[in-house]
Amino acid sequence: MQTLNDMRPVYVIGVGMHKYQFASDTLYIDMGLTAVRGALSDAGIEFPQIESAHIGCTGIGMAAGRIMFNHLGSTGLACTQVENASASGSSAFQMAVLEVAAGRRDAALAVGVDKYGDQLRAVAKEKVNRLSDTARIPLVKYAIMAEYLKKRKGLSAEDLARVASKNHTNASKNPFAQFQKPRSVEQVLASTLVAGTTTSLMCCPRGDGAAAAIVASEGAIRRLGINGGKPIRVTASVLQSERPQVGREIPSVTLAQRVSEMAYAEAGITPDALDVVELHDAFAIEEILYTETFGLAPKGEGQHFLRDGGSAIGGKCCVNSSGGLIGQGHPLGPTGLGQIHEITRQLRGENGERQQPDAKIGMAHMIGLGSISIAHILQKD
Amino acid sequence: MPELEKPDLYALADDGRRLQLIMGHCTQCAKHHFPKAGYGCPNCGAVPEHVRSELGDGRATLLTFITLHAKLVPTLEVPCIVGEAQIADGMIEEVMLLGAAEQYRDGMALQAVAHEVTRGERSVLACRFAPAED
Repeated sequence: MQTLNDMRPVYVIGVGMHKYQFASDTLYIDMGLTAVRGALSDAGIEFPQIESAHIGCTGIGMAAGRIMFNHLGSTGLACTQVENASASGSSAFQMAVLEVAAGRRDAALAVGVDKYGDQLRAVAKEKVNRLSDTARIPLVKYAIMAEYLKKRKGLSAEDLARVASKNHTNASKNPFAQFQKPRSVEQVLASTLVAGTTTSLMCCPRGDGAAAAIVASEGAIRRLGINGGKPIRVTASVLQSERPQVGREIPSVTLAQRVSEMAYAEAGITPDALDVVELHDAFAIEEILYTETFGLAPKGEGQHFLRDGGSAIGGKCCVNSSGGLIGQGHPLGPTGLGQIHEITRQLRGENGERQQPDAKIGMAHMIGLGSISIAHILQKD
Repeated sequence: MPELEKPDLYALADDGRRLQLIMGHCTQCAKHHFPKAGYGCPNCGAVPEHVRSELGDGRATLLTFITLHAKLVPTLEVPCIVGEAQIADGMIEEVMLLGAAEQYRDGMALQAVAHEVTRGERSVLACRFAPAED
């Protein structure tokens, strides 16, 4: 299999976002165009210079991108809709990166845009029953895992609340975030109990939003006159799907470890090199699990990494400075591209009061229902 | 007698209370799986003709359990107890438990039993797990 190592270099040259928000009357086209225009402006290029576009969305319907691009000028660009559940935006980004890396295009756009949608899942058409009525609800699986770790590894409800408090507080400093209030550990614990020790503020919200990124080759950067210090190189792009469960570990967590290890190998780094990580914290327990599976903390000690401030802004490796899915939000289509937006700004040193000092390398990670796991590593040259 | 809610997953035992889980057994790879679907063997990919049904005893070992407080699906009556249980060697399934959390502890033996629930206008027998009596 070829990796990004074997292909020509690819750079993120522009990012843009529309604020994530609760289900609204805002048209998806308005949100998508805001993100795309933001990315074009950030890159300092015009829409006709984009050769292909990949649109990540789950709840809008067929041909969402083509309809949206009518309003930017019909340039005839290649246009593909990408659906990979929560990882739709990440997958759209991967498609754009691989097209440029392979030499097929010089400048490609990935945009994620979504409305709340009808939540229709293909698994409902599988016609295979499960014993428990909640067997296909990820929240329940993760709440059971949190209970298991509470009994076996000393994880506490306060640890879960610390994740949520950190991410809500980061989100309160992020103008694109759905939640805008800092939350204390006590406030998180006092919110509505949902499952086991998991409370409502430990869970991500759903909603609307958009995010976009433009990637380009070195040749395009020269030709388009992009600012030399601004482009951020993409050094790994990995996607795999899960295998059957072995023992107690949740398959998507085992999968995330495999994907992160493949991404590190592709980028030629070790987890120690990571300065910023945006990861799939749909539920607070996930952040603790993934900091372990990604090698940021030893196995079974994710809560200690958190308690010691290792994942805080200014810590050893800042995790979810955007607020993550819990704080920034999780509108599905845009979520993975919102992570690329955050990491790009971190590596450029443009992230304001959420800036991780001297950030050089970042990783974006998403899980898509099913499950698939996808990771991208971005590096400042 | 009400009908079973999910007859593709379990059958009523002779005592009229216990449930037996319907396992898939693949004649190609000799492995069991659950649930048995009509699409073939999920372990080796053998076609459906190579998968036959085998009735298990409905016993399981409870691994962990929690109380659900939110009505996450329309059929739930909360609070209720759900957990993970080993239903056969290497097979872990999410299960719904009968009664209150105080009745359960990790590692205990469970038995699948029929539990009458209302679905719209009718009653059906759903699968719940309860502490095994022997």
